[in-house]
Amino acid sequence: MKKRIVLDWGLRLAVFIAAVGLWEFFVSTSQNFLLPRFTDVVSALFRLLFFEARFWEALYISNQALILGFAISVVVGIPLGLLAGRFHWMDRVLNPYVGVLLTMPVAPLIPIVIIALGLGIAARVFIVVLFAFVFITVNTRAGVRGVEASLIEMAKSFGASEGQIWRRIVIPGAMPAIFAGMRIGLGRAVTGMVMVELILVASGLGRLLLEFSGRMQSDLVFATVLAVIIEALALLAGMQALEKKITRWAPDISIG
Amino acid sequence: MKQETVAKAAVKSSDARTVDRLPALRRFTRENATEVLALLAGAVLWEILGWSLRLQWLPPFSKVMEALAQFVGSGVIRANLGSSLQGLIVGFSLALILGLLLGSLMGRYRHVEKALDIYVHALFVCPSIVFAPIFFAIFGLSDASRIAIIVVYSMFVIVINTATAIRTVDPSLVEMARSFGCRERQIFTKILLPASLPLVFAGIRLGMGRAVKGMINGEMLIAFVGLGALAQRYGAQFDAAKVFAIAMVVLIIGLASNALVQMLDNRLTRWAG
Amino acid sequence: MIRVRGLSKEFGTRDNGGGVLALSDIDFEVHDNEFVTVIGPSGCGKTTLLRIIAGLIPYDQGQVAIDGRAITGPGPERAVVFQNFALMPWADVLANVTFGLEVRGTPADECRDKAQNLIKLVGLEGFEKRLPKELSGGMQQRVGLARALAVDPQILLMDEPFGALDEQTRRLLQEQLLRLWEGQRKTVVFVTHSMDEAVMLGDRVMLMTPRPGKVKEMIDVPLQRPRSPQVEKSGAFVEIKEYLWENLRAMQTGES
Repeated sequence: MKKRIVLDWGLRLAVFIAAVGLWEFFVSTSQNFLLPRFTDVVSALFRLLFFEARFWEALYISNQALILGFAISVVVGIPLGLLAGRFHWMDRVLNPYVGVLLTMPVAPLIPIVIIALGLGIAARVFIVVLFAFVFITVNTRAGVRGVEASLIEMAKSFGASEGQIWRRIVIPGAMPAIFAGMRIGLGRAVTGMVMVELILVASGLGRLLLEFSGRMQSDLVFATVLAVIIEALALLAGMQALEKKITRWAPDISIG
Repeated sequence: MKQETVAKAAVKSSDARTVDRLPALRRFTRENATEVLALLAGAVLWEILGWSLRLQWLPPFSKVMEALAQFVGSGVIRANLGSSLQGLIVGFSLALILGLLLGSLMGRYRHVEKALDIYVHALFVCPSIVFAPIFFAIFGLSDASRIAIIVVYSMFVIVINTATAIRTVDPSLVEMARSFGCRERQIFTKILLPASLPLVFAGIRLGMGRAVKGMINGEMLIAFVGLGALAQRYGAQFDAAKVFAIAMVVLIIGLASNALVQMLDNRLTRWAG
Repeated sequence: MIRVRGLSKEFGTRDNGGGVLALSDIDFEVHDNEFVTVIGPSGCGKTTLLRIIAGLIPYDQGQVAIDGRAITGPGPERAVVFQNFALMPWADVLANVTFGLEVRGTPADECRDKAQNLIKLVGLEGFEKRLPKELSGGMQQRVGLARALAVDPQILLMDEPFGALDEQTRRLLQEQLLRLWEGQRKTVVFVTHSMDEAVMLGDRVMLMTPRPGKVKEMIDVPLQRPRSPQVEKSGAFVEIKEYLWENLRAMQTGES
């Protein structure tokens, strides 16, 4: 068993080394002077993290919109999903709009949001919400629908009130799906944050990225992207740890 | 002679279908009355708010439709749609081929799976848009950039679903095939492939949706062609009606491509409830 | 006392005109402290009947009354044990057992004391902190039984409670239920599809016919209490069982 784990991580490490090797080889043979070496990117990341105060400032600005937007998405998305899951007519009313929001790319609408809300943090928060909340709603709804009917019946047989059924059965039962939705929503929120900063509102990390790429400092561009990826993965890992703790009863579902 | 009858039969059956279609539409409206009403109510509300508030960012719904009609009439949409769809088709095909291949390997061989799983998951969960600046650095302002974006947007969900699908095929089915003396290749084509198809298709459908998003985002951020460029241009002019009209076109592409995959799915995986 | 008079129940009358008559003109009584088992081929409406007595579904015609009061919904004098256990997967054994008590507003420490007693009674001491998924099927249903007994109902309604268990486990639980019941003497309505179970447990066996569900016969089981598993070998046991099988067989093959 232990041997197997060592082997697995050996394989993963080998893939990593091979990828880095390919990268270095590719860079040294290509004529593209915009391509930084892997080592350049790592050292640029190091510089960003420890010597570049502007990086932390940018990170702070970007995360303001991210955290606020995600919080609003949760506060709006979960109740909507609960309602749609429990009341059939509500589901039918929301259904076409949910479909539209799921398929419609938000990016083209960013300028419209900016006319409406200006170039400040309100617009960025709103766009993050637009990116994230519908995924939370859809998953919450599915979670409520997935709560076993026999459990609700059981609660009724003990004379539980509607409120007790919600508190004791429906919400805990939907919890794993709600968390899955929040995980997807968080990823979408990061997308929204980066998107709005790159497209129109040059602020935070997006502004940093545009600046670096304008000055052809591609090692810093790559490093900033890497930092965003690391932040996103760290946030998601934190979310997953919380999820595991709260829903340790649920079977593993790991399909995106 | 024989061919003629076949042709006639075909005509007949297609006639029958057109006749059939009307009641089908009527049935759809009846069964989804609440949904249709909700959408209509939304459109009416939009129209009223548009006229009464007179905000720059909220043109009445009819103005959006007008802009859309103008786009279609003047051929602007057709020109840009072509270039967008081209990128979408190339990018999605690449994602599909790579995704199915990698997913099958990961689903069938434990070593491949263990070697790649953390990377595939990381790339799947981290927001694909952040790769835009990287592709821009590598490929510049070329078609390759936007195609690469479409590939990273849609590939990983296909990989993960395919791998899960193949890994979770009922092992007793594989044992059954072995007991009849099937070889590895036969097991793959006769058991694993069909049994995993429903879940694989779920991945393809998700991938398709993500590809459309990758298409428009890539065009807006790094390629400046097609519908994305159009949206970018009118967005910079703050012409809300035209931006909404383009968003509608993209929405239609998304719905249509989803319907296409769904149709294929229904046809190939009818056995799955 | 449970008294059922002229009870009828139809399903699926809302959309397509002709519904299915699940129960037709049912008449019977269950006396206080009596154990009645209900048996019949699948589709005879025995589970529907139980759910009506539990107050979980409404009925169309007739009267269903407990101690002279008509049933309008679930009540504190009844508790149900479900076929699929209906345990909350997110709650541990203790929390599952206290559910009914908590829903009825019992103070927390009283809940815990009562639940603790019942957990001991069904032989699950030491498993209080386990989650349902960590228990075997037999243990899960003992949790279900403890939960129902915890609210100290006059009437226990059991819907094929051991139907999902393997034979060995089922027999162990039957023996345990016999001992428990002979100690407490609650009124029990026990739906089953096992002839052994019906005769082994019941004071009377109610035999039902399918489509529409009707009471064919009430059969007295003249076996002495307390019963040991040895009664299976007695002539009376074998005789009743054979009588049941003759009737059920005729219903299944259509010769009646």
